[in-house]
Amino acid sequence: MTPFNLQIITPDGFLFDDRAESVIVRTTVGDKGILARHEPYSAALGIGKVKVTTNGKSRFAALSAGIITVGSDKTVILAQSCEWGDEIDKKRAEIARNTAKERLSDPTLSANEHAVAEFKLKRALNRLETVNR
Amino acid sequence: MPKSSMKTIKRRIKSVGSTLQITKAMEMVASAKLRYAKVRAEALRPYFEAHAELLRDIASQKADFSTVFTAKREVKNRLFIVIEGDRGLAGGYNSNITRLVGEYADKFDNPENRPKIIAIGKKAVDYFKKRGWDVIGEYPYFSEDAKASRCADIANMVTDLFKSGEVDEVRVFYTAFISALRQDATQIKLLPFDTEKKLKMNPEQDDTESALSAKKSRVSVHYDPSPEAVFDRIIPKMFLSMISCACIDSYASEQSARRNAMENASDNAAEMIEKLSLQYNRARQEKITNEINEIVGGANAIS
Repeated sequence: MTPFNLQIITPDGFLFDDRAESVIVRTTVGDKGILARHEPYSAALGIGKVKVTTNGKSRFAALSAGIITVGSDKTVILAQSCEWGDEIDKKRAEIARNTAKERLSDPTLSANEHAVAEFKLKRALNRLETVNR
Repeated sequence: MPKSSMKTIKRRIKSVGSTLQITKAMEMVASAKLRYAKVRAEALRPYFEAHAELLRDIASQKADFSTVFTAKREVKNRLFIVIEGDRGLAGGYNSNITRLVGEYADKFDNPENRPKIIAIGKKAVDYFKKRGWDVIGEYPYFSEDAKASRCADIANMVTDLFKSGEVDEVRVFYTAFISALRQDATQIKLLPFDTEKKLKMNPEQDDTESALSAKKSRVSVHYDPSPEAVFDRIIPKMFLSMISCACIDSYASEQSARRNAMENASDNAAEMIEKLSLQYNRARQEKITNEINEIVGGANAIS
């Protein structure tokens, strides 16, 4: 397959800056696969997995909130946080999941706090799912 | 020279010596922190720049494009986000920002209508509160560990204030980290979003590359679900990345400024010790000479 330039940029720097054959992301309106010579495209990304294929091998990453832009020369994924599945600390993700669950069961939470805890739970679950891939 | 002066000189050498120890230690701490801060600042920059480029691209592609963030309106109330350090002893680091804020406030406003301030860093909080500015947000001890979630609070607050029309313009005052030897107090306009001008964190950068890519990308892009939705989603993210970028840049600048200030202080202290030792030795020699003179004088008197 024809490769194209893909960059995954997070606040901690480049997670990926190389040529890839395909990338699949979860946008706010559904999963979207990008191949080389895709039309210019831009969408917001929610919590979900990113599947990057290079040289026939796939790698998964957990992403929480971001934007994807497909331009003529490169595809850029801007993510608030994005980690490779094989680099995720499984124990930490489990702890995060459990604390978020506990927090959600607290009835005194304000709507805002509830939303934050829910977001954290979703993120932890997503990371755990990505690890297990 | 009397004996007491020797004693005073000795005491001064000792006191300058202990100051030297402190400044040396501070210099070392600052350089260690600087190394760490520099890595963070450099890692964040591509993230920020990609955001800025994306925003500009979206805004430039649609002529009829208008959201609350780009709409022109009369500027009545301004909001300044001021980023300073938490501690002093960093040369002109804090005062340069304070001065810049003062200049801008004077330029735009009459004394009755001072801009609102969001103060980041203890020094900024103290300064602007003491002088009776309208400080609507206080974030002391923030920059050292500028986590995204904490920056998000500020970003949301700014977005809300702007949307509700309480402020019409938002500027960020921070210190750009250009090199270990140079840090510039600068400001950037955050809102209303200027679609024409390129946003950049580093005033030294050249524009050629992004100007090229801006031209190239003027093809119609498919936005999912709509340009407005994507734009509105990026804007808060953009503020977030700008605020954290400014904080991290400022923090690196602060450490760098402190390191330089302490280096100078250490040099001065070392020089002073040298001078004082010379004085001390001179006084000692003079004393010995005097004693010999006395002995010789005494011996002469006897014989």
